[in-house]
Amino acid sequence: MNDIKAVMIGGSAGSFQVVTKILASLPKDYKLPIFMCLHRLKHVRSGFVEALSIKSEMPVIEPFDKDPIRPGVIYLAPANYHMYIEADKRFSLSTEEPVNHSRPSIDLSFYTAAYAYKSKLAGIILSGANRDGAKGLKAVKDNGGITIVQDPKEAQVDTMPSSAMALTSIDYVYSTDQIISFLKKINNA
Amino acid sequence: MSDNIVTITDEELSFFIGSIRTFSDYDFTEYSEKSFKRRIEKVLMDYKLDLNSLILKMRKESDFLERIIKDITVNTTELFRDPKAWHTLKYRILPRLKDNNVINIWHAGCSTGQEVYSMLILLNEMGLIDKAKVYATDLNTDVIDVAKAGIYKYRFNLGYLDSFDKVIKENPYNYDEFKEVPYEKYFDIDKVQDSIKMKQFLKDKPVFRKHDLVKGGNIFYTKFDIIMCRNVLIYFNNSLQNKVFELFYKSLFDGGYLVLGIHESMLGPMTSKFEKKGSNYRKKLL
Ligand SMILES: C[S@@+](CC[C@H](N)C(=O)[O-])C[C@H]1O[C@@H](n2cnc3c(N)ncnc32)[C@H](O)[C@@H]1O
Repeated sequence: MNDIKAVMIGGSAGSFQVVTKILASLPKDYKLPIFMCLHRLKHVRSGFVEALSIKSEMPVIEPFDKDPIRPGVIYLAPANYHMYIEADKRFSLSTEEPVNHSRPSIDLSFYTAAYAYKSKLAGIILSGANRDGAKGLKAVKDNGGITIVQDPKEAQVDTMPSSAMALTSIDYVYSTDQIISFLKKINNA
Repeated sequence: MSDNIVTITDEELSFFIGSIRTFSDYDFTEYSEKSFKRRIEKVLMDYKLDLNSLILKMRKESDFLERIIKDITVNTTELFRDPKAWHTLKYRILPRLKDNNVINIWHAGCSTGQEVYSMLILLNEMGLIDKAKVYATDLNTDVIDVAKAGIYKYRFNLGYLDSFDKVIKENPYNYDEFKEVPYEKYFDIDKVQDSIKMKQFLKDKPVFRKHDLVKGGNIFYTKFDIIMCRNVLIYFNNSLQNKVFELFYKSLFDGGYLVLGIHESMLGPMTSKFEKKGSNYRKKLL
């Protein structure tokens, strides 16, 4: 298995419960940084970090522009900003127009993470009603990283994982529990 | 939305930036790479050009050069964007300046002006507009023209009336307090024309100028009590951000405030010269 250095997860507002379950299962001393780009409902702009923090033992934060990436932190793309990973492993934020009606855009975040981490990135797409994330996951694959989608059978809305499966080759189609074991396994690798 | 994504390599990106620097007045060397790269890719897709043709055309046609520079900048803005930041201005910063003879304010990277009009409305509600001198700059002259005209799309700005209410009518520290302020006091809404037009007395107030933060320099021959620079420095790398912080430091009065966007912070050597509270930085007295 590749020596994974970072994980990026994309999903929609509907994948909130799955995300919570995943985060709640990871130990306090988890070593890798986890980037999360989740679509939010228009009127719910805040409260997301707080809700996730309560469930997670790992720190959950919305990064500030140019913050250096620290291991063992869960980073949530802030509402209304695109979140990019720079080559020097810092975040940068942008308010350019939404892509596929989404800001943050999962594709844009994945492109930059795939480029920064190459084969050392694991990209995971959860359930969602939008095709955002498919091209991003393809970029992960094209750069040699590991691609994972939540099993469409399990996903509440399967457009997101299915579009990704249609566009690129997927290494693993996993249930939520399998995603959790995978994340634990790469942490101990 | 087209499915073909155009991507350029790091080498192409530096080649583009280097070329622009040699034949024009613009220097993007220290912009944040990822968002700048994305803007160029977008320009290449929108104009259906390859990188070399784009560079060539920019060199030959100065109008086209200006057009592309404008396309590259990201101009997203709103009235009373991030109400919490405006609460800080209303309850913490502006009250401390109310006894000044003059309150000098600079909006650096003002885009289409919504932030400037938000400030003017707040100043007016606080009875401070007459002592305020408001300056606003941007690199992109198209957005400055829009800012001067003070006319916005109603449809797009609909949600922002909500923010107006939060900042101007409500008091987040006391929910019983509510000030009835009609929108017509500040702008005319025309749903048929789909427009929001700022009132003349607001438009008369600010001085708008073109200014490039990369070149630095304070073009106004005054220092400032408040510099607003929100969601502009996110497009710059650390080194350029630091140069701009030096410029802001020099351009602020002692005790003056620099207001950054809610997801921005100052990193690096200039931090010791400011006192930080959230996204607001107060220039320390020496
Ligand atoms: C996203 S807008 C911010 C508008 C407003 N301050 C707000 O927060 O709502 C960023 C602005 O920065 C301007 N900008 C970019 N590079 C600049 C530079 N080198 N000098 C001055 N302005 C610049 C862009 O033209 C754009 O209008």
